[in-house]
Amino acid sequence: MAFVSQSHRAPNESYTFASRPRPVENRSKYREPPSEQTHSNYGNIMYDRRVVRGNTYAQLIIPTTAQPDPVEAQRQQENRRRAIARKRAREQFRPSTPEALQGRKHIDVQTELYLEELSDVIVATDVECQTDAFLDKPATPLFIPAKSGKDVETQIEEGELFDFDREVQPVLEVLVGKTIEQSLEEVMEEEELACLRAQQRAFEELRNNELAEVLRLQEQERRRSEEKGRRIAQQKEVLKKEKETAEKIAARAYTQQYLADLLPAVFTSLRSHGYFYDPVEKDIENHFFPWLMAEVNNSLEKRYTARELLDTIIHDVTRKRLKMFKELETQ
Amino acid sequence: MAGCLIDPSRAPVAFGRRAVPQLFEELQQPEADRRLRALASLCDLMHDPERIYQTVNGGFLEQLNVLFEDEDSSVRTKTCELLHLMTAHSIGRQALLSSSLLPPLSQLVDDNSSSCRRNVHRVLNRLTLLPAGADALLTLVPKLMLKLRGEEGEEEEEEEVQVLLLSTLSSCSRLDALPALASDGVSLLGHKLSHRSPNIRREAAAVLMALSVCEDGKLQVCEESLLPVLVNLLHDEDIEVQANAAGVIMYTVIITTGKKQCLYLDVIPILLELVSKEEEEEEEKKKKRKSRKALVMYSLRALTALAEAPDGRRRLLEQLPLLLRRSEATEEDHDIRRDAQTAVRVINWRP
Repeated sequence: MAFVSQSHRAPNESYTFASRPRPVENRSKYREPPSEQTHSNYGNIMYDRRVVRGNTYAQLIIPTTAQPDPVEAQRQQENRRRAIARKRAREQFRPSTPEALQGRKHIDVQTELYLEELSDVIVATDVECQTDAFLDKPATPLFIPAKSGKDVETQIEEGELFDFDREVQPVLEVLVGKTIEQSLEEVMEEEELACLRAQQRAFEELRNNELAEVLRLQEQERRRSEEKGRRIAQQKEVLKKEKETAEKIAARAYTQQYLADLLPAVFTSLRSHGYFYDPVEKDIENHFFPWLMAEVNNSLEKRYTARELLDTIIHDVTRKRLKMFKELETQ
Repeated sequence: MAGCLIDPSRAPVAFGRRAVPQLFEELQQPEADRRLRALASLCDLMHDPERIYQTVNGGFLEQLNVLFEDEDSSVRTKTCELLHLMTAHSIGRQALLSSSLLPPLSQLVDDNSSSCRRNVHRVLNRLTLLPAGADALLTLVPKLMLKLRGEEGEEEEEEEVQVLLLSTLSSCSRLDALPALASDGVSLLGHKLSHRSPNIRREAAAVLMALSVCEDGKLQVCEESLLPVLVNLLHDEDIEVQANAAGVIMYTVIITTGKKQCLYLDVIPILLELVSKEEEEEEEKKKKRKSRKALVMYSLRALTALAEAPDGRRRLLEQLPLLLRRSEATEEDHDIRRDAQTAVRVINWRP
């Protein structure tokens, strides 16, 4: 029963309002407590949206959208199409003038010419009457369904009815039993797992312990065998060196022995070959003696010369004496 | 049967032997909530070993394959929970291992529902209780490592998931450390060692211990310079963290590089303190003695290995009375006594 109206304001658009005509409501029979319905019937005109207030020149007449929103345009078009469709539908449903008879035709006519003025005014008198005020609605009586069937009765002895306290016992026992069973199973399961884990743990500890020992011993063994290898290599090296030294010593001794008689022999042979000499002697022999011989020769030659000279002199003297003697003899 | 839906989250359960087959038939239904109800009821039933036996022998396990690809994440989650419950028993674990469910299950590690992922990790963790399970999961190790690394990037998922992941990894690595080592596990775990949660620290140290068993792992631990971190962990308040850290050190000091680094870090006094501490707490906390024993054993082993280095032997000779006390008959634990005797023998060894 609300307003059958369409008011709608799109962005950047002037306000439009449309209201479908509707019949006057008929009033209810009873006076009812005032509802919000009456409120909607008449309102303050100051707040009616249909009434234009203010300066009409300031109204925005043309939408100033420079660029129509495509979505908006589409929606508008749709609205238009919907309005046309609605109009067409309404036309279809409206009771129109019946079809013209055979051979006749409907035409549009201006009826002004055929109007008659009703000139005879009937005298009437106004009579007023006031209806009684509405009665308040009486309270609705309580609904009591009509009784049907026949009444019968039975006798119930003590203990024949369902006694909750007694009947519940077996059910309860089953419930409690099931619950306890389930929980026991869960607890046992957990205990089993915990036990398993503890055992594994203990085993792991022992295993780790022993494994570490084994690894340690392995490592020790490895180190010792390495050490042993190193020692053996070292020992071999020592032996080799010792052997080398012995060989060297032997070679030295042999050489010494060999060279022991070599040296004197070499010396004697060298000496015998005259490789060892006195430089003074050699100098004398080389330089002094030739000079001396030359000098001696010189002096001897001088002496020979002198002697020859003397001989010649003596010869001359003797010949002269001989000649004299001969002259003397001859004489 | 108007009252059958008293609890809307559960499906009606048939009596006796009919219960399990009927619920599995219910799983074929197209409506997700019916499947969910059936799964919830199955979860309740699977606490009973007899039901698990029936499920396994009836060949119903393979039907779960379809549910792993269900578009409803709560169905997937519930399916994993069902498997989790079944793997609580040995027969369930063996059945799961021999079934074809493992590959699709491992796909679910990347599921986008966190509760589903958590349940998958729970299942995997329980599987590793069996050595055969750990063996089957070895192929998954690189993927899990990747997961661990990924979590580090995106500011860790949940503590529980990480703990489960690490515990699974430690079980797998105990069997064969190579896949984890190959995917650069040591450095990754090194980051986890300084995590604020003691559970994660403990599990990370446990994985590291498993990794350091083999030669390559020891070398990597030395190279990544994790020993200072581990020495810090020896002061941790959680005793199992201490024990696991001592275990890693125990394995690492076996090689020469580890010995040198440990001597440089001066580990001997700390280990000696750990060994001697127990006497003071002898009476209190009987419960803690179990893990205490592991810690003492590991420390003694580490000391034994350290004593093989000349420098370490020299230092330990000064502390010999303490170890002698341990090796005497007053020590009631047989293993510790034996370890201490070995340690003393090694310390007194002369070439």
